[in-house]
Amino acid sequence: MMVKKSNVPDGPMLPGLSLDQIVTVLAEKFTVVRDASDQWGLTLVAPAEKLRDIMRFLRDEPTLQFAMLLDVVGVDYLAYPGHRGERYAVLYPMKSLTFRHRVTIKVTVDEDACVVPSIHELFKSADWAERETWDQYGIIFAGHPNLKRLLNHHEFVGHPLRKDYPCQKRQKLSTNDQMLDQLEARLRARGYTILDHGESHAGTPITDASSVPSLGTVKAGDKL
Amino acid sequence: MKVISPTGERVDLMTINVGPSHPATHGTLRIFAALDGETIAACATEIGYLHRGFEKMVEQGTYSQVLPYTDRLNYCSAMMNNIGFCKAVEKMFAITVPERCVTIRIILSELSRIIDHMVCVCTNLVDLGALTNFWYFFNVREQVYVIWEKLCGARLTNTVTRIGGMYRDVYPGFVDDVRGVLLKIETAVGEVRGLIEHNKIFIDRTKDICVVSASDAISWGWTGPCLRASGVDRDLRKDEPYYGYETYNFDTVIGTSGDTFDRIMVRIYEMIESVSIVRQGLDRLKPGPINAPDASVSLPSRERVYHDMEALINSFKLVYEGVRPPPGTCYDATEAANGELGYLIVSDGGTNPYRVKVRPPCFTQFAAYGDMLTGTMLADVAASLGSINIIAGELDR
Repeated sequence: MMVKKSNVPDGPMLPGLSLDQIVTVLAEKFTVVRDASDQWGLTLVAPAEKLRDIMRFLRDEPTLQFAMLLDVVGVDYLAYPGHRGERYAVLYPMKSLTFRHRVTIKVTVDEDACVVPSIHELFKSADWAERETWDQYGIIFAGHPNLKRLLNHHEFVGHPLRKDYPCQKRQKLSTNDQMLDQLEARLRARGYTILDHGESHAGTPITDASSVPSLGTVKAGDKL
Repeated sequence: MKVISPTGERVDLMTINVGPSHPATHGTLRIFAALDGETIAACATEIGYLHRGFEKMVEQGTYSQVLPYTDRLNYCSAMMNNIGFCKAVEKMFAITVPERCVTIRIILSELSRIIDHMVCVCTNLVDLGALTNFWYFFNVREQVYVIWEKLCGARLTNTVTRIGGMYRDVYPGFVDDVRGVLLKIETAVGEVRGLIEHNKIFIDRTKDICVVSASDAISWGWTGPCLRASGVDRDLRKDEPYYGYETYNFDTVIGTSGDTFDRIMVRIYEMIESVSIVRQGLDRLKPGPINAPDASVSLPSRERVYHDMEALINSFKLVYEGVRPPPGTCYDATEAANGELGYLIVSDGGTNPYRVKVRPPCFTQFAAYGDMLTGTMLADVAASLGSINIIAGELDR
């Protein structure tokens, strides 16, 4: 039988720590502050320079075991009524697969530097999630190996989820991303040495917009 | 592309694009692969072809106006997105929806899960050339859509819930219609299972292909059937039960090897469990109100609006301004057909959501796809993509 079933009446998870206990365990090692804006769950504000250590601790500490990073969420507080402090924040909702508890780590981000450390080495899910947050908010994840746009077009100018990006603004985007750099990086990571880039298959997208008559007059980043 | 392989040989790799517009990409996705013969030496994946700016759009309207947009996330099971969003906002208001509403939401969720799994499994089988299964499943799925149409007037994008309740109660004869369709679902699932479970061609194409280990699946942030196929016994309906799922009798289905075969079979068996949950829900369906008796979210009845000044003002404020959840940041998740569907909502106390972040379950699954394909054959691209159930609507938002 390829598929087996389980039926545990109360569910297979252990109860885990209470929210206060999680704060206590973390506060022994790091300076974290409970975020009062999350009255429904547990959000902890953590210092950015300690983010990697905190994430590793949350993942590996036997009483916590937050093994899964669910998402990386950017927030721009520019238009938030009465907001004081840094303009941006990055939120990391996490859950444990052993215990029935969850936590969200929040890091505030300075508007000028706009940088937080990348945690792609700790959680594979951070790779694309950080790329998306960079794409939408322009927050740099220091140490990310491939911090490129994910959802928006590679010629897109600006970061659309910032509160000062106009909702109706339009941009003409024409040329496909050839992605040869990404492919070669992945080949090199597997131990290949690239000798020449070579000819691509007929399915390779257009790399020169001027060769297509209907797109010839449009340049990347042109405003309409 | 001329390269020196890790073993020191000089090889000529061919680069090839699968997609963005390819019948087997189930939407617009791009897989850019370097082929060594027919083996994928490495590949890079690209998404965003269906990016509409969902998260920007929903900041422009009220909370109720978010609902139709959520339909367009996972459009194969639109109702589950509605329910997930409403549940998150109701959590912010600390509203408990009436029991009849909860039971209807469970029935609709599980029926949506069944049709979502049907689309996933049968399109995957079409990619393998097994077209018969497609007709078996789409015939039944069509009958579920007829029920949706009778229920709310829409087939694909239902917008069936409201914050604090439902758009409307179920129609007379709904229970009989659902019981009828459940029998047909059971027949169809049995037929498809019989066609594939011991089918040599199917097993050869899917067994031990694109294997994802349990630890990798967890690190990639996989949830739902794909995580369970890797042998991790986790299901939000069991682990963090909501809507009284703990009182329903059903099994979680888990796989053993985390390959394409398990990902498909987990879904097949989950459909049978969902049929059982729907039956239990139908048995529990008792008459009663469907909207929470809370004036801050629920519209007053038309009768009261026409005869009572307060009710008229209440209705006017809710329609023209909208609901106002308390300020703060709230994350809430439901077990959707594809896995954990999370909504992180930042409210500033106003009528428009300040920020809504959707955590689509297939986003983390597709992030892993490039690594999954490395070392497999080109033909496995089509054979395995369906099994991680990419829905471009929620992937690209």
